[in-house]
This record gives sequence, structure tokens and C-alpha cells, in this order.
Amino acid sequence: MNATFENLLTPFLPYLNGNPLTEDSRLHDLGLNSMKAIDLLFTIEDELGVSLPDEDLNDATFATAGALWNAVQRAGTGQEDRKAAA
Amino acid sequence: MSTPTLLPRADPPSYRALDALTTGASGPEVWRALGAEGLLPRAYRDGDPRRGLEPGELGRLLAAVDGRFSLGTTLAVCVPLATCLPLLARAAGPASRTLSDALRGRTVVALAATDDTAGCDLTSLNTEAVFDDDVVELNGTKRWITNATRCEALLVLARHRPGPHFTNFTWVLVPADAPGVHAEPADTDLFDGSGTGHLSFDHVRLGREHVMGGVGRGMSGFAAHIASERLAGALWAVALCRRVLRDTLHHLRERPYADGTLWHVEGIRQRYAAALLLARQHQALTAGLADAVASGRDATSAAMLKASAAGTVERVLDECAHLQGAHGFRRGGPQELRAQAALFGIGGGTTEIVLSVMAGAATDLLEELDR
Repeated sequence: MNATFENLLTPFLPYLNGNPLTEDSRLHDLGLNSMKAIDLLFTIEDELGVSLPDEDLNDATFATAGALWNAVQRAGTGQEDRKAAA
Repeated sequence: MSTPTLLPRADPPSYRALDALTTGASGPEVWRALGAEGLLPRAYRDGDPRRGLEPGELGRLLAAVDGRFSLGTTLAVCVPLATCLPLLARAAGPASRTLSDALRGRTVVALAATDDTAGCDLTSLNTEAVFDDDVVELNGTKRWITNATRCEALLVLARHRPGPHFTNFTWVLVPADAPGVHAEPADTDLFDGSGTGHLSFDHVRLGREHVMGGVGRGMSGFAAHIASERLAGALWAVALCRRVLRDTLHHLRERPYADGTLWHVEGIRQRYAAALLLARQHQALTAGLADAVASGRDATSAAMLKASAAGTVERVLDECAHLQGAHGFRRGGPQELRAQAALFGIGGGTTEIVLSVMAGAATDLLEELDR
């Protein structure tokens, strides 16, 4: 995970309490409820400029910080590939 | 004192086209009249639902409708304007065509979110969308849906996976005349003109192009636009309270009492003033937050507007109904209105739900009080 992603994600995790964020950090346990998860999705799309594909819109993607980071990376790569192809 | 910016003292001349309709006109009749006059796009920034609501114009439009027609008819205009059309604007294909027709007043769209499960927990809804190659099949029911019996198209929130996760839900655009769609009026004397009813979907099969905004984006789409609906409700509440307060003041000034009228009784004047104060407080809050809600996804501000609208409408209408005495029980009077206006505390999220949203942002809201 890069610093930009961690800085983006941290405000949505009220129970992180200054502890380090790892790829195994379970987002729901750290306070990411449904409303916050929707806001997080909007923030990812607005600030990182990526749109998560339909196949990654599932509970597994939002289960851990690492799973979400991987989905964001895949979405970014996919969009770059599509731009290059165009 | 400056003139309120959200609602002018008189309707702009353009809304006078509505005067051609009878006071008993239904929501779809008013929708078609507004569309024919090109007035519906004016509720959006640059006339484009993708760009969000234009609070000033939306407030004027809702005031124009509220001042002429029943609460149910205004409801039937408010919901599609605030929620359905912005949702349609997020999608392509059939949604684009429906949006275009709706903006011209040729199509009335209903928002079918609430299921036969508790409306305060949308993630428990049972209506299913099952995908089979390029076809999506809908099964389930929707309850208490505005415009259900009089619309041409339905935006249906359905689940495509079990479980409460927010990614398990999808919007489907359903033609109201699709095979398997059945609508029946709700058993109520309230909300005349709104076409409120219950819907059932029995093996409704549609092409996958009827999925709106992508599979799994049902709840996020809903969240993105519920703020708009709450802003619209707040603007409507300003108009409704203003109308009822004016009507009440007229009644008090005309009603003989002792050597004068009821308006000369100090206790009555004070009670009226307290209700007027509530309306002005809500108007001020709405004016202060409207742009923030309209221009982004400020869920906390939208929640505040919703809570304020519900509380203000309830207390102002209660007071006005009482001040009008027996006269308040006339058809269309404040006693009838207040029963229907309880909707402000229920539809689009109960007061308890929006207060919970505010509580979740309590620290930020306290910091705003310091500014």
C-alpha cells in the first residue's frame, strides 16, 4: 500500500487509534460501516481517479486494507490499459 | 430585513402555466404541464440533472406546486425531480431515453426502493435481480411507492446477492408496462394525487441494458442522491410552512373575537410568532446548507436538513391547526395536512436515522459551531 492510499483510507477507520495500518487490517473491525464504505468508494473514485469494476464490488474487496488496495491497483491498471488501447 | 433568497414572495410568471390545471390535478398531470413548459430542467444546474440540483429554482418550483395542488401531488413531483432524474442521469442506454422523456414531462418515473421489509433498513430488502447472460429477472414487491400507479417507468432497487453488504444491490430500470409488473393503490385516504401504491414483480425479464449505473452500485447510487431528496424536502418544508402560516394569519385576522379578532389576543399572537420563528429557523438552515448539499455529497448537512424539515413541519402545522380551531378540520385544512406531512419524518429516512447520521459526525458539527 502506498502512503496516498493509506492517508485516504485512515479517516474512514475511527478505531485505528493511531495504530499502523497493514494489508491484513480488517476494515469493518476498524469502524468501516456501510455508510462509511460508500463514502470511501466515492472518495477513491474522486481522489484517485479510478472506478472499481463491477466484479470487484463485493464484500471481499472491502474486507481488508490489502484487498481494497489490490482492487484499486487493478482498477488503475485496467483504466491505463484502456486509455493506451484507445 | 433582507428578502429570503430561496423563496421569493411571489411566483415567477413562468409558473402561472400551472393555473390552467384544476386544484385537484394529479402528480402526473402537473409533471406533464411542467415538462411541456420546459420548467423541469430549471431545477438543475445548467438544466442538467448530472450537475446536481439548483436549490433556488427547485425551491420556487416546489413552492409553485405546493401552493396550487395537494400535498400528494407535490410529493409526486418532488420525488422524481430530486431523486429519479439524477439517478437516471448516471446511466446510459434506456435510462438516457427515459431521462430525456422525463425532462419533457412525457414520462413519470417512480422510485421503488422500499420493500416489504422495514424501510429503515434497506439492506434487508428482498426484491431479487437474477442475471442470466444478457437478461436480468426481477422478483419481489415494493410498498408505499409514490407514483406507483401512474408512472411509465420504475427505478427498482434489488439485490443480486444475499447479505447486507452495500455492494449486493443494483438499480434496474423497469418499464411500468413490462410483463410481470403489477401495481395496486395503497389503502389510504391520504396523499391524493400521488399515485401511491404497492408493486409486485413476478418473473419480470429485461435486457441487461436496463441495469443502471453498474451491478453492485445500488446503495452507493442511492446514497449519492438521497442527499438531493433531503434538500428538496427541506425546500418544500419552507414552502409548506410559509403557506400554512399565511393561511393561519389570514384566519386569525378575520375571525371575530370580543371587540376585535383573534389576532388581537396576545397569547395567540405569541403562539403564532413561535411557529413563525421555527419556520424562519428552518429557512435559514436550508439557505445556509443548500449549496453544500447540492454541489456535493454532504450527507451530514442533508441529514440536518431532513431532521429540521420534519421537526419544523410537525410543530408549525400542529400549532397552525390548533390556532385555526374547528376551521382547521375543513377539507385540505391544516388538520388534514398535518396527518400527511408526518411523511417528512418518515419518507426518505426516518428522523431517527438522520439524527444517527448527525451523531456520527458530532465532532465535526461541533467544530463548525466554533466558526
